[in-house]
Amino acid sequence: MCRTGGVPEPSGTGDEAAMDAAFTALLEDSAEELYESAPCGYLSTLMDGTIARINATLLNWLGLKREAVVGHRHFVDLLTVGGKLYHETHFAPLLRMQGELRGIALEMKTSHGGRLPVLVSSVIKHGSEGEPLLIRTTVFDASDRRAYEEELLRRRQDAERAHAEAERARAEAEQARRQAETDRERLADALAVLQKSLLPDSLPALPGLETAVYYHTASPDQLGGDFYDLFPIDGDRWAFFLGDVCGKGPQAAALTSLTRYTLRAAAHHDPEPDAALSTLNAVLHERYTAGGDPRYCTCLFGILEPGTDGRTTVRLGSGGHPPALLLRADGRAEFLPTPGGLLVGVLPTAPFATATTALAPGDTLLLYTDGLTEARTGPARDDLYGEEALLAFAAAHAPAAPHAVITALTELLEGFGDGPDDDTALLALGVPAPADPATNDPR
Amino acid sequence: MTPLNITHSDTAAGPVLHVTGELDHARATALRQRTERLALRPGQCLTLDLSGLEFCDSTGITALLAARQHALAAHADIVLAAVPPALLRVLTIVGLDQVFTLRPSGKPPVA
Repeated sequence: MCRTGGVPEPSGTGDEAAMDAAFTALLEDSAEELYESAPCGYLSTLMDGTIARINATLLNWLGLKREAVVGHRHFVDLLTVGGKLYHETHFAPLLRMQGELRGIALEMKTSHGGRLPVLVSSVIKHGSEGEPLLIRTTVFDASDRRAYEEELLRRRQDAERAHAEAERARAEAEQARRQAETDRERLADALAVLQKSLLPDSLPALPGLETAVYYHTASPDQLGGDFYDLFPIDGDRWAFFLGDVCGKGPQAAALTSLTRYTLRAAAHHDPEPDAALSTLNAVLHERYTAGGDPRYCTCLFGILEPGTDGRTTVRLGSGGHPPALLLRADGRAEFLPTPGGLLVGVLPTAPFATATTALAPGDTLLLYTDGLTEARTGPARDDLYGEEALLAFAAAHAPAAPHAVITALTELLEGFGDGPDDDTALLALGVPAPADPATNDPR
Repeated sequence: MTPLNITHSDTAAGPVLHVTGELDHARATALRQRTERLALRPGQCLTLDLSGLEFCDSTGITALLAARQHALAAHADIVLAAVPPALLRVLTIVGLDQVFTLRPSGKPPVA
């Protein structure tokens, strides 16, 4: 450390003498020496730009000889093309107007063809009459500062590029999201059309008969494996079916579709339950099982023939499906057994069981899928609502019209924990009871 | 939930698969693949011992039918042994009790 400033040491004249000697050595630098070797460039020009004086520092930076410069070159000659342009258009006019300029960034060219970024300050020296005499200019080497600025600029460009990149990615993500939304809507529309092809919109009105239906699908895409239908086959007969295909989701839906339209077509060709189920069996076996992909359904298929006596004859065939249930007008409940009917589609030819009954006024026939008899009633897998429980439930409700039966069973199903966890279809067909039994009014 | 477990043993009459646990939608594929890999010779009998089966849904039944097809394609026979009562009830409803040969116990018949 050395002491600076002009405060003399309070003691010891010897120290003072030494310091004076040091100052003297410094002051030996003449003003001329100071001008020539200053750490910045100095330059004086006439008002037309002719260089009148230039210091050694600047000559050294530019690699020029004094003789070649003084009196021969103009200030602008030392500048790059860009520097010249800026000098002519901005620097010189401003300087003439203001009399001085500070810290203007220009580029000078060196004798080796390089460029030297500089900061230039100029001031006009005026004569006693106020007339401009010459221009004094200082030149600072701005290489480091320029490098720093370029670095800043590069960083800013990088940041802008990154920002633009992020913006583009965000726009692309937004576009993808919109596309996904559009795709989802289109799929939902397509799915809705397909769903409609699997089930009737509503049941047709049958003369002299009442019908009611319940349908629930556990599948999140609403493609259930249960199906039902009811449709006229000729002037006064009607066909109906209800069943359950194996599997879940879109593949089950494809099987359901094939099943529904095969049965509809078969019913028009030969509506006997055994014949319709045999046709379905042949179609499903050929399509799936024969090709090594066993798929099948269980199904009840029936024909309704309204009689002249107010009773409707039901002829029913079963392919591996649980038996239909009868709720009689007199309060009895009974299954309509169809034992021995085989799953549809498993064997090339299969036996189907048939049964016949008559629905008298007040009787209701109930068809159901195993979503009802295998509905979970408790946490364990075998806590299932079985056929005995269903029979007891029916007996407790008989006699009941189709709507009443479906309403009661819907409440029962929805009372099982979180509701039915499997697809469930219920179809009830009945001959209405006399409007007011008390009057015994014949219909 | 009990995982599905299949153990394989060979008898004079043919291979025996002892199937235990739950045969549901998620696991039926395992049984299908296992039976499809079995090399059966004409005249052999594939026995599926179901004594330890705790649950079987419609996809499980599909796997049993696929096993039957595999056996028939090899001109072999198939037997379901020790079918639990709940499955037997379902097999009866869907008519498969007439399609499969059912045997009370898992032991193969004495040759």
